[in-house]
Amino acid sequence: MAISLSARHITKRYGGVLALSDGNLEVRSGEVVALMGANGSGKSTLSKIITGVVAPNQGQLLIDGDETRFTHPRMARALGITAVYQELSLIPDMTVAENIWLRHEPRFLGFSLNPFEMRARTSALLALFKGAVSAALEPGTQVKSLSPGERQIVEILKALSTNPRLIILDEATASLDNQQVGKLFELVKAWKADGMAVVIVSHRMDEILRIADRASVLRNGKTVYDEQLANTDEHTLISQMVGETVVQELKTLGSSKEPTERAIRLEMQDVAARTLRGISLTLRDGELLGLGGLQGQGQTDLLLAIFGALPHTGVIQIEGQPVNFRHPSDAMQHAVAFVPGDRGTEGLLLSRSILDNFLLPSWRRFGFPLRMDEARTVAKHTAKDLSVVMAELDAPVSSLSGGNAQKVVIGKWLMREPKLLLLNDPTKGVDVGAKGEFYALLNRLRAAGTAILFYSSDDEELLSLCDRVLVLHDGRQAAELHGEALTRAHLVAASMGTEG
Amino acid sequence: MTGLVLRRIISRHSYLFALLLLVVAVLVNLRLQDNLLEVNVISRNFRNFLPLIVLVVGQSVVIIGGGIDLSAGAIVTLGNAILATLITSESSSGQILLAILLTCGAGVLAGVVNGLCVAYLRLQPIVTTYATSFIFTGVALLILPRPGGDMAAAVRSLYRSTPGGAPFTLWMVFTLIAIWLVVRSTRYGQFLFATGGKSESAYFTGIPVNFVKFSTYLWSGLFAALAALALTVNTGTGSPRSGDLLTLNSVVAVVLGGTRLSGGQGGVIGSILGVVILGLIANIISFASVDSWAQTLVSALIIIFALIGPGLVRLARKAVAR
Repeated sequence: MAISLSARHITKRYGGVLALSDGNLEVRSGEVVALMGANGSGKSTLSKIITGVVAPNQGQLLIDGDETRFTHPRMARALGITAVYQELSLIPDMTVAENIWLRHEPRFLGFSLNPFEMRARTSALLALFKGAVSAALEPGTQVKSLSPGERQIVEILKALSTNPRLIILDEATASLDNQQVGKLFELVKAWKADGMAVVIVSHRMDEILRIADRASVLRNGKTVYDEQLANTDEHTLISQMVGETVVQELKTLGSSKEPTERAIRLEMQDVAARTLRGISLTLRDGELLGLGGLQGQGQTDLLLAIFGALPHTGVIQIEGQPVNFRHPSDAMQHAVAFVPGDRGTEGLLLSRSILDNFLLPSWRRFGFPLRMDEARTVAKHTAKDLSVVMAELDAPVSSLSGGNAQKVVIGKWLMREPKLLLLNDPTKGVDVGAKGEFYALLNRLRAAGTAILFYSSDDEELLSLCDRVLVLHDGRQAAELHGEALTRAHLVAASMGTEG
Repeated sequence: MTGLVLRRIISRHSYLFALLLLVVAVLVNLRLQDNLLEVNVISRNFRNFLPLIVLVVGQSVVIIGGGIDLSAGAIVTLGNAILATLITSESSSGQILLAILLTCGAGVLAGVVNGLCVAYLRLQPIVTTYATSFIFTGVALLILPRPGGDMAAAVRSLYRSTPGGAPFTLWMVFTLIAIWLVVRSTRYGQFLFATGGKSESAYFTGIPVNFVKFSTYLWSGLFAALAALALTVNTGTGSPRSGDLLTLNSVVAVVLGGTRLSGGQGGVIGSILGVVILGLIANIISFASVDSWAQTLVSALIIIFALIGPGLVRLARKAVAR
């Protein structure tokens, strides 16, 4: 059971991006270590390297004192190292028992499955969470009928069923309720007493303080701080995560004029949908409101609810009129546009031409039969406006670089002249030059009076572009930052769900 | 609580709607043909159903694994051509056995071609298997350019026999179901459902997703060869068009049996029920003296109705809930 793991000076490069420049982590039997860091600090990369999902470029990984190189997650699992990830590894159509024992099913004589033993051992595992899960969670229940929290519990039990010596809980508590978190932490204490090593990656500061023995802080891919929790406090941890970064002022590019006298474009009262648990906000014409916080805290669902792509409760008003969009086309009629985050799957028809992609939302403008020449002229104009670097309008969108493809995604909506623009992490994976052009474009749109709701997972971007940032945590508003209060320290603290 | 248990049974045993449909089909058929349940009529019906029943075993496995095999019928044609050419009334039992083994080998080889293209070259299953179906039909035409054949009488009489009071063909159906139940309860069965259900998750759990996909086409090829055997023995002849209608019928039977086309759910038992339902619908139409011009139309309408059935049930339940 005893294990000691030591990751030293780990480097990991994805293409040209340095995700981890000096990652370090020490953990041994009977210890709970919290791995902390802001968005993009390299937490996930480091935990993936430890479990063999990703191979490091440089650095040492010592397990029980021996240097090890994992080329496949199976090798890490064979040494008793496993992880519970947020991206679920469950098969929806299979039962709880089948999912937990997938690939190491109990069998009769090494051939036929042993459903009785599978059931009994699953029940034993489920008993660990007794009282915190509904009666419907049984070995024979199909995973697709479970709540997100219960699915996460099945995921935890699946990891546990391999009898690990070291378990990594990567944001494992994100979809659990308080009672379930309580149960999990009781278990973590029991595992600790049994000599298991536990690494917790969590964005909830209170949880880290509650359960961890030691905290290791990553900042910009470097381990900058490692200390027993008994010898440190919340403020020190947050300031270590934030560092001394000075935010450069880009806001001068746009109008820094207070837009309070402008008309209210969007008003939301207590809107809830899927992961969103009640948000109220007001957005005026010409205002750029940022949505911040860690990833998956309800930002995307907020945008989808406004765009009519996700059923919601609560009141949404546009220009003072209550609306209830049931389909994106309803929202489009009210001059709302949505730029999705995942270009490849949501924003573009990759195999079609640039022209087709530009015109897709706007064909109606060009009548019947379609006035092709006029459409082409308008598209050409937009492409020029956005300075899309392309061979010709008829080239397939897949021939464009990431930044240029993103311009097409935005451009196709700009042709409709939206009054309310919803942006879902639009600069993810876009190079720095294209980002700069994109920021300039946002400022132009604002000057023209477009109201923009802008979710970004890049904190710097929010700090430098927005007048106001709404920080979401667990589907609720954790803070509204503006003016003096709009600082990196406040943003990170609010993301972690503290008042810091 | 009982509602929950009921829902669980329905979702686990996806063929329940097919069972209901079967009962209706049997009752209607019985009114038109009162000797339907006599042994010799059952025997005759199942002699005609068996080729498609064998074929849907393989098709179900492919579809559960997240693919589809549109070359299944063409592999039957190929097998039919080989068998009709090699087996004659003068063949010794050794020669017959060799011919059967050769046919199975050809079926497996065809499956390997499909499997390699889909699982390892990542080609679209629909297009790939549609394209390979022309290869297999082409080879069949090469072997047997025009219909013909002279099936050994011993094999034909075995196919028509009723050992232990039940038709031989029915014993074969039970054997197929038994094989399926065994496969279902092995680790391979779990891998199959996991791969078809959500292949990324299966991959991260360490399941050899590509190999599982590959293997489903191999099974489909093998069962198509066995279906060819049943078909050839039943008709006694070979024809380069023998498998034409079987491909789409096999897909329809699988869907009628409650297996989802997107994979990860369903089973062989439902698909076999699907074949029997299709057969009974054909029976009903021929006994109901439907005008010949309308037969195809009526049977298609019945099949469409059967296919939207489960959806209608869901809609009705929603309406009640509201």
